[in-house]
Amino acid sequence: MRRAWAFCLVALALGAQDVTHDRLVNALKEQQNWLTYWGDYSAVRHRDLNQINTGNVKNLRVDWIFQTGQPGSFETVPLVVDGVMYLTGGNGYAYALDARSGRQLWIYKHTFPPGRKGNGVNRGFAILGNRLFMVTPDANVVALDARTGRLIWQTEMAPYNNGQHTATLAPIAIKDKIIVGISGAEFGIRGFIDAYDPVTGKRIWRFWTVPDKGQPGGDTWLGDSWTRGGGATWMTGTYDPHLNTLYWGVGNPGPDLFGETRKGDNLYTCSLVALDPDTGKLKWYFQFSPHDTHDWDAAETPMLLDLNWKGRDRKVVVQANRNAFFYVLDRENGEFLMGKPFARQTWATELDAKGRPILRDHTEPSVEGTRLCPGLAGAANWMAPSYNPETKLFYFAVREQCDVYYSSPPVYIEGRPYWGSVSRGVTDEPEWGMLKALDPLTGETRWDFRYFHAPWAGTLSTAGGLIFAGDQDGFLMAFDARTGKNLWKISTGSAIANSPITYMLKGRQYVAMPSGSAVLTFALPE
Amino acid sequence: MKNAGLFVLLLCASLAWGQTERDVADGKATFRSNCAFCHGLTGGGGRGPALISRQFLHGSTDDDIKNVVRNGVPGTTMPAFEFEKEELDHLVAYLRTLAGAAPKAEPVAGDPMKGRQIYERRGCSGCHRIGPQGSVYGPELTRIGAGRSPHYLRESIVNPSADIPEEYSGVTVVTRDGKHITGVRINEDTFSVQLRDPSQTFRMFQKDEVQQVVHETKSLMPAYNTLSQDDLQNLLAYLDSLRGELNAGAGAKKAAGVR
Repeated sequence: MRRAWAFCLVALALGAQDVTHDRLVNALKEQQNWLTYWGDYSAVRHRDLNQINTGNVKNLRVDWIFQTGQPGSFETVPLVVDGVMYLTGGNGYAYALDARSGRQLWIYKHTFPPGRKGNGVNRGFAILGNRLFMVTPDANVVALDARTGRLIWQTEMAPYNNGQHTATLAPIAIKDKIIVGISGAEFGIRGFIDAYDPVTGKRIWRFWTVPDKGQPGGDTWLGDSWTRGGGATWMTGTYDPHLNTLYWGVGNPGPDLFGETRKGDNLYTCSLVALDPDTGKLKWYFQFSPHDTHDWDAAETPMLLDLNWKGRDRKVVVQANRNAFFYVLDRENGEFLMGKPFARQTWATELDAKGRPILRDHTEPSVEGTRLCPGLAGAANWMAPSYNPETKLFYFAVREQCDVYYSSPPVYIEGRPYWGSVSRGVTDEPEWGMLKALDPLTGETRWDFRYFHAPWAGTLSTAGGLIFAGDQDGFLMAFDARTGKNLWKISTGSAIANSPITYMLKGRQYVAMPSGSAVLTFALPE
Repeated sequence: MKNAGLFVLLLCASLAWGQTERDVADGKATFRSNCAFCHGLTGGGGRGPALISRQFLHGSTDDDIKNVVRNGVPGTTMPAFEFEKEELDHLVAYLRTLAGAAPKAEPVAGDPMKGRQIYERRGCSGCHRIGPQGSVYGPELTRIGAGRSPHYLRESIVNPSADIPEEYSGVTVVTRDGKHITGVRINEDTFSVQLRDPSQTFRMFQKDEVQQVVHETKSLMPAYNTLSQDDLQNLLAYLDSLRGELNAGAGAKKAAGVR
């Protein structure tokens, strides 16, 4: 009897639909759900769902649309937990929807104190227990009751300072911590990764991505340039539960385009850092672009794969970096295994044996302007790639666009851009883009599909042999994962700036794609 | 030495506006990052007008210039910029040093009335529009004198392919039955393309229904490089004189302070 009571109490406290750490570790076993920003901890963005497949995807049609009625465009990736879709919008909004009908269950609106700009994009929720966690344009972490959308706590990550500190990413929940990053490397911040207590909202640890003088890496910054050194952490990390390691891509140094005042490698900007999620202590790092002056941050997805690498099973982390190289690193120790260009690049002759780029001449931004590929937005960016374990290919969006980079000493004004000048797209050739299928063992392209404009949308892989992807002209498309043949498309009416998801409910497979200020959800006719 | 004297004079001139050497340097940095793309690295002009004369097209007081920067110039490609007050002050201080560096702007030589006759005789209105007259196929010229430097206009006449504004890129669609349809690209995406043909008609195609979509690398405008020097100069003088009201009579208002 006592035992039964204890069980009931636990069930009451947890609720029927609570998302435990174990569920998050095993997220890929819950094919019907989408439990984290990446769909799981490793960010493969693949689902063993095949109701929608290469044979019938041509029949895919809109099942429901949810309109926020708010200005701004979605950059969010929804979570789907046992029939409920949780998603964040821009400007501090968030929603819970019936994932089958699109009907709203609750709405949340973050309260901005007077004098703060309440506008800004957001990329999504983390869930733990029955609580949802998001960040806000004024750099708060917010905990909501998943059942009601009611605010439980909010904690300011860093002083607002006229909009200097902002936050946009989806948090990641690991064990008993909510881990988040900060935006604002264009505004002279010093970046960090924070862990918060999901119950109280108290900060548990902070990892500074720009070390203090005297700390390891502190000697890679000239003078006191580290105090405004950038190193934002504006995209969600990935996590290996077996190695208990958190992987996080760090942003560019500041000022972005003017490097004279911050001579040195500028650690840990444009790097992947591997942290102990319990303590926030650094295990290892790998820097892709030392002393970057082109805004080529390393915020792109650090995807975790187990590959047979030259005859040996290895745990690796792969990243299609903004600097136009595809990297494979050993994720146990950070060892550089491979780096190959996947797009046009005119800045490095090659990578050396340790993965450090060997620069061409005249790549620095200048007063007169320096023409270089890729452009400032990079050959890849934050839009998510996917990996299909059957084809063993890595599917991602490529941007082909070059810029002229200008440079001049910036003046620091709190809350104002601190770029050190600007970049402009070249005018003698158009930008374009690609969906590319790449073999991560060789870095070679298996197939690609050309887009008219450089995209800002990621990909999704399914066991139906499909890759779903979006483009800048608003098309959501389905491709044959083996051949790259375009099998289905729909014009969503707005540029797509996030990545599709899929889930299963009452025997039906859905594909959801936020676009503009609407969530479009697709299914086969019943 | 002469130059050194000029420098001191300029410095004094700029200091007279209450700006320091550092402020002018800040203004120069702002100019190079934001303005040089159109107005030239030293303000000599490019796509946009030269800024080295004392006379500015849209008013020459500090407030006039700031208004133009803040609000842009309707009917031209000059956009609005969001600068802090201080940045704008420094930018104007720098512009003043440029203005001091050149003699007073000379009006473009040539006879605008004769230029107008050439414009009509050559059939320019078959593609261009001035006020309500002409075609919407090519760029509107109603205010072209306010938005382009004479140097740029000259180049656009004799070698129009030197700089093709993106919104006037040419596209040729080859249909399955072999027809070639050329026009100005209005829109294009991965799967479709929309053109305006010389008869001012929309032409719209799905890419999988045509043989080929060719992006023209040359301007759709023919090069008028056989005009006599006099004709060219007169035509330039006419184009430079075009500073009319955009949508004249339609009740459209210009931003405050923009002339």
